[in-house]
Amino acid sequence: MTDTEDPLVRSARREALIVLGVWLGVLCYTLGVAARWGYGRPLDDLTFVCGFPDWVFWGIVVPWVGCFVFSTWFALCYMSDVPLDADGSSAAGNEEPANG
Amino acid sequence: MAEHLPEAGWGVSVALVAMIVVSAWLGAVAQRVVERGSFLQGYFLGNRGLGVWTMALTATVQSGGTFMGFPSLVYSHGWAVALWIAAYMLVPLTGFTLLGKRFAQLSRRTSALTVPDLFRGRFESPVAGLVASLLIMFFLSFMMVAQFKAGAIVMKLAMPQFAGDSASLTLADDLPTAATGLGWAYYVGLGVFSVTVVGYTLFGGFLASVWTDLFQSVLMLLGVVILLALALPLAGGLEHATRAAVAQTGPEFALASGYGPAGHTFLPLGLAGSMFFVWIFGGAASPASMVRVMASKDTGTLRRSIVVLGGYNLLIYLPLLAICMAARVILPSVPPSNSDEIIPRMALATTAGLPGGSLVAGLILSAPFGAVMSTVSSYLVVIASGLVHDVYQRFLHPSANDRHLRNVTYGVMMAVGIVALVANLNPVQYLQALVVFCTSSGAAAFLVPAVMAAYWRRATAVGAIGAMLTGSGTVLGLSALGWWEKSLAASGWLAPVPPAGQVTSFHPYYLCGVEPVVWGLAMSAVTGVGLSLLTRPPAATTIERLFGPSCREA
Repeated sequence: MTDTEDPLVRSARREALIVLGVWLGVLCYTLGVAARWGYGRPLDDLTFVCGFPDWVFWGIVVPWVGCFVFSTWFALCYMSDVPLDADGSSAAGNEEPANG
Repeated sequence: MAEHLPEAGWGVSVALVAMIVVSAWLGAVAQRVVERGSFLQGYFLGNRGLGVWTMALTATVQSGGTFMGFPSLVYSHGWAVALWIAAYMLVPLTGFTLLGKRFAQLSRRTSALTVPDLFRGRFESPVAGLVASLLIMFFLSFMMVAQFKAGAIVMKLAMPQFAGDSASLTLADDLPTAATGLGWAYYVGLGVFSVTVVGYTLFGGFLASVWTDLFQSVLMLLGVVILLALALPLAGGLEHATRAAVAQTGPEFALASGYGPAGHTFLPLGLAGSMFFVWIFGGAASPASMVRVMASKDTGTLRRSIVVLGGYNLLIYLPLLAICMAARVILPSVPPSNSDEIIPRMALATTAGLPGGSLVAGLILSAPFGAVMSTVSSYLVVIASGLVHDVYQRFLHPSANDRHLRNVTYGVMMAVGIVALVANLNPVQYLQALVVFCTSSGAAAFLVPAVMAAYWRRATAVGAIGAMLTGSGTVLGLSALGWWEKSLAASGWLAPVPPAGQVTSFHPYYLCGVEPVVWGLAMSAVTGVGLSLLTRPPAATTIERLFGPSCREA
């Protein structure tokens, strides 16, 4: 069955599954940090990292930067380019205003 | 305690007028590009030629909410909103990879100009297309109408005459005006906003929408960065601002549950987890986003867009959180009814003493204004394409020529703009609740059928229609239960759920403590898969055409 499948379908499905895995991982990590250190905590315990409450810094700021680094790698180094035009008719016109 | 807000000054108006002029100019340039080819393909899909910058900064989710609703939540509830928005770290990745490549390809293989077109072609079912079209127009209409009000409010705050009226400018005195939501400046703002956004969208269609969107996105970024640089030193740093906010409110302001009225938790863990569904799947499956990935020039554009949007979101959302924390020190007593105006007010307050401060304030103010304009414009295009292409051309006048369709499109767009303007002369009380409902329903309606269309050969039209209807129906049902929750709980029909979420007079029923969209997606998936398996598989030739290698195409 897969030998009759367009390479774009295969690569798109594989990439979507990986991204769903990343989504699940981030969800578990961020909610885990928040659940452990963000809820029902006495304020005297709270420390600040770079101005952020500690649970925000470790649970949200750090993974946010991590996600950006991962997304950049994934997009530029992992994802593959596949031709889009099934019928060979290419897109008409370039629309970027800056470069015509 | 009345807090004086500085005058908006003429510089603000100059900056906003300059922005309107540039937007109108982009609309005119776009119109010339549309003239080059077939009207509908050019007007509604930009001839499938979106490049990296336009794709990255316009295909997803910056909206009026980013600069109005979100800051208001941070100001009111505190750091919990960081958790509420945390899923945005994944939006660039998920928004372009879950459906991007396949939708760009399928839209070409089915010659689809719109999302309903794509469903119709993929499932070979006019009914699937019509159901999608009606749902999209229904949801987007409410969302667009709400954005008009936001645009009018920014224009109102930017008016020098309004700013000079000191009675309107003391925050405490502002309350009666805010309570009715009106005042002459509101109507002028509404008029200017409506004419501008409908005008440039009407002239240039989809391309005008994405180009102005790109221009406005860059302004937004500049506005946020400048505001951050001005606000943090004034507030004495982020930690100081947080401690001051905690002193004004309570310890929950710095915690994940969020500050709220007694007995009301802003963000219980279940709702925090739900937001990872709302933002991710709501973003990927929103009709305005799906149509933009369909217009992608090639897959390289989609890849690079992930990087650009990733950097952009990083520079927008975390700084906005910091700015709104700083607002707790700089503007400590903005009443809840005006907390939507935090960013415009911060722009005026932080630039008051600066040389040329009024122009800087104008630049910052153009961020929320631009966000609202770009959202309205993208919705306008999708709604008009639905009415003209999916309904008028498809069912009423299939043989209409380009010239005829152009006139119908212009007429439809003006009519939609007038309806939105009239609806905002006396804004609906529960509009914000409707917007939340529409976002959730949209995600629950379209995600599963879109994924099925893209990746599952066995998916059938009946499965897709069932998935759309049960997904949106589940969200509608739980929202309706929220409306009657108190009376149903009192009579023992429903287990009451502790008050949570945004403090509004209307909220849905959080079954098991999670957002309705999670249940909607689950129901949609079960129905879509179940009905597909129970109905006859799609024709092998169709599947071969849509899933097979491109060399087999004629």
